[in-house]
Amino acid sequence: MPNYQRGKLLRLHFTERDQYRNKPLYEAIVEKCQELKIAGATVFRGLEGFGGTAEIHRSHMLAHDLPIIVQIIDSDENIGRLLPTVEEMMDRGLIATSDVEMRRIQKSS
Amino acid sequence: MLKKGSAKKVTIYVNEDTQHHLSALYQDILAFLLHKGVSGATVTRALAGFGAHQVIHTPNIEALSEHLPLRLEFIESAEKVEELLPTLYDMVTDGLIEVQDTTIVKVATREKQQAEPKHPHERKAGKAKLMRIFTGEADRWNDEPLYEAIVKRLRMMDIAGATVYRGILGYGAKGHTHKQNLLHTKRDLPVMISVVDSEEKLSQAAEAIEGMMQDGLIAFSDVDIVRLVHANPLKDAENAKLPAR
Repeated sequence: MPNYQRGKLLRLHFTERDQYRNKPLYEAIVEKCQELKIAGATVFRGLEGFGGTAEIHRSHMLAHDLPIIVQIIDSDENIGRLLPTVEEMMDRGLIATSDVEMRRIQKSS
Repeated sequence: MLKKGSAKKVTIYVNEDTQHHLSALYQDILAFLLHKGVSGATVTRALAGFGAHQVIHTPNIEALSEHLPLRLEFIESAEKVEELLPTLYDMVTDGLIEVQDTTIVKVATREKQQAEPKHPHERKAGKAKLMRIFTGEADRWNDEPLYEAIVKRLRMMDIAGATVYRGILGYGAKGHTHKQNLLHTKRDLPVMISVVDSEEKLSQAAEAIEGMMQDGLIAFSDVDIVRLVHANPLKDAENAKLPAR
C-alpha cells in the first residue's frame, strides 16, 4: 500500500459493567488515551457475547452488561506507551494487538 | 450478456424511408443485429434534422416529413463491433455510422441469469485484506451521510461486502469527543466501516474513499478468508436443494 504507514491496532474486550474509580471503564480508558495524546480511540457496544467468565452478556431490563470493544490505532511506540497503563486499569477482559497499515486523512476544511 | 467496463457504442443515422432490399433499412439493420446476438439496440425517431443532402426534415411541412431522421444505437464489446461493422458499412448506403468508446457501469436484468460456473462475488479461502474506515456519524458527502455514500461507492465497485458499526464513545481526527448527548438532539457518534476483499480491489476502493473523506483514518490489516459466498436470492431456492458443499 503506497502512502500507508505501519502501525498497531489495539483491541480491548470487556463489559459495560466494568468500572474504574467509579466510572465506566471504557470512559476511563478513552480519557486516559486523550491524556497520553493517543491519536484516537473508538468504543463499540456489542449486541451479545460471552468471554472468560463464560456467562452470556446481554441486555436485561434494568442492568446493562453488554460486551464493549475499544479500538485504538496508532504508531508502535504510542501503543507500547499506552499498553502498561491499560493493563493496570483492566481487572479482567482481553487485550489483543495486530499489525495494520494506516493512513490518517486530515484535509483542511 | 454485456460486462462492466469499456465497450463500444455504435450510432447509425439513417432516414425513415431509406430502403434496403424492399424493406426499410432500419428494420433490416435491427433484424441483422438481433440475428448476430447483439445484447440490445434502440431506434429513436428524431423531431427534426438535416443531413448530407442539406434539406431540413421536419414534421411541420408534410412534403418534408417523409424523410425524418432515425437514430439507431447499440452497445457491444469492441470485438463484436469489429465483427459487425463491415456488414453495417455495406448496408448503410445513405446515412452515417459512428463508433464511440464508452464505459458500461451497470448491466442489470430482471430475468433469471444464466447459470454461471462461478458467481462473481464468490471468493476462495485465502489471504485477503481487512480495511477499517473510521469517520463520524455527522460527516456528510454531497448532502448524504458519508458512511452511506461510502457503502454505495463500495457496492458500485463490486467490493464483496461492507459493514457499518456505530460506536458509543470516541475521539480522533477532529479532536473532539464523540459522545451521545442526553437529549439526542445532535448525533455525532463515531462510525467504523469494515470491508474485506483482495488487496488490489481494496487499494482501488481506498483511493476513491480518501477523496470523499475530509478527515478520519483508514487502516489495513491482513486476514484469512475462510469462506465467502454471496447468496443470490434467485439462486437460493436451487441452492437449498443442493447438499452443502
